[in-house]
Amino acid sequence: MAREDITKQVNAILAEEFEVDPTLFTPDANVKDTLSLDSLSLVDLVAIIQQTYKIKIPATDLREIQTFDNLYDYIESHFGQNG
Amino acid sequence: MKYDVIIIGSGLGGLECAHILSRAGMNVLLLERGTQAGGCLLSYKRLGLAFDTGFHYVGGLYEGQSLHAIFEYLGLLRLPWERLDTYFDRVTIEDRTFAFAQGYDRFVRTLAEDFPAEREALNRYVNMLKRIEEQQFDMLNPQSGKPSFPFKLFETSAYQYLTETFRDPLLINVLCGTSLKMELRRESLPLFTFAHGNSSFIESSWRLKGDGSLIVNSLVDDIRRHGGEILCNSEVQVLVEKDGKLVHAVCSNGESYEGNIFISNVHPAVTCDLVKQSDRMKKIYRNRIAGLENTFGMFTVSLCIRSRTLKYFNWNQYVYDQPNVWTFYLENSPVSGVLVSCRIPEDGSEYVQQVDLLTPMLWSKCEPWNMTEVGRRGEEYKAMKKRVAEECIILAERFIPGLRDMITGYYTSTPLTYRDYTLTPEGTAYGLRKDFRDPVMTVLSPRTPIPNLFLTGQNLMLHGLHGVTMTTLFTCAEILGKEHIWNIVKN
Repeated sequence: MAREDITKQVNAILAEEFEVDPTLFTPDANVKDTLSLDSLSLVDLVAIIQQTYKIKIPATDLREIQTFDNLYDYIESHFGQNG
Repeated sequence: MKYDVIIIGSGLGGLECAHILSRAGMNVLLLERGTQAGGCLLSYKRLGLAFDTGFHYVGGLYEGQSLHAIFEYLGLLRLPWERLDTYFDRVTIEDRTFAFAQGYDRFVRTLAEDFPAEREALNRYVNMLKRIEEQQFDMLNPQSGKPSFPFKLFETSAYQYLTETFRDPLLINVLCGTSLKMELRRESLPLFTFAHGNSSFIESSWRLKGDGSLIVNSLVDDIRRHGGEILCNSEVQVLVEKDGKLVHAVCSNGESYEGNIFISNVHPAVTCDLVKQSDRMKKIYRNRIAGLENTFGMFTVSLCIRSRTLKYFNWNQYVYDQPNVWTFYLENSPVSGVLVSCRIPEDGSEYVQQVDLLTPMLWSKCEPWNMTEVGRRGEEYKAMKKRVAEECIILAERFIPGLRDMITGYYTSTPLTYRDYTLTPEGTAYGLRKDFRDPVMTVLSPRTPIPNLFLTGQNLMLHGLHGVTMTTLFTCAEILGKEHIWNIVKN
């Protein structure tokens, strides 16, 4: 899956599901702040990525994902690997 | 008037939360849609006999055991609990019967007589059970640096653990043979759920002399004594949010109640539907909750027994006509596993008046009558119930020869009955399915995206009398703080 498609799809899904304006999703923006995530809604983020891309994000990796760019990178590098 | 806490649903979790919070000095209102409080603990009366729906036995009531401290705090130790026989659970698989003994050492000794080569494995097994019993309270320890929930224990497959620990498949089926009290499912059941559902009964096992409404009445009396209010016939229709917090519970009778904190003891998917408009509860949370799967339901046959025909037996008898206890309920064949449980005679007689037969039932078996109402489900539904009841009786006759001739009448309930009386989707007996492959998603937190709305009950973490009580402690810890709850469980 091309990086551009991932970006577009991820932004569309997050905007719809988290009910947030997608223009706020800039590559350097902080995911947690932009989506107002706390420890509870972080589970929702993990769930939607898992459901959409069949990628399970372990807690240790989750800590590394700070910006939207980090999130796209993670999906791009893991997509198709977990079957 | 503004309440400190409004609780929706008066099943065990709602009652226990109301008890703890009202005793802590909070002004509590408990709202129940039915005509009486109690949820799955309620019994129903026919021909002067009270039949239990969800409750049959409980474990760990002796001092120092799992439920002692909290049951004492909740005032439930004063109820007429009677200890089951040393061999409290007996599992008949085809023609052989195996016994579960109370006390971990005796439990191992007894089963090792039937499976001598597995003695060491049985020791490892009970050590695992003991560890889990100990760890359940660690999670509430305010001094403990450990994470607040043991996801590691939820990440292990019960089935895999058992097949790696024991070599004899018959022993695995025996150990799981008493587990109609949870959904045995190879591909999802976490070891924690399995172990928690078994361990306290091995500590000690008890039956109530009377029906589950004794538990309900005791809790209700205490809540009222603490100044709490309980309103029946009050079905919450909408939870109103303002500035990111819930402010009102609006009932179908038009009444509206203002509160600071709200606890929902109804199914999480139903709870989400009550919050019609919210800035905090986004689609993502609602969709995740709506996408979770439910465990199976139960089919119950409540038998009325002719006087002086059947002597009381002080244990639970599980009967299987084939060895596979893990998947029998999935097959489209006659019932092949059943729990036979009898009520303690309340008149001092040595003969029983009523016996319950329970077997799992999938929602798909009830789905054709999904749109029908209690009492108006038609002849085919009646025929289905009759057929399954007959199959349960045939199986139970392996344990009680001539049972059929002792029966003067019987009543049945299905997952549909459960759904319509307790508002549980698909009539699930044990709530949302926990999955060892995905505990983060399937083990729910008492917290919700709305900061003053909390969840409780069997859907969150653990089910059964013990599991719901543990879940209550977690929910109340969110409101009163871990220290308060730790002081209760550590007395």
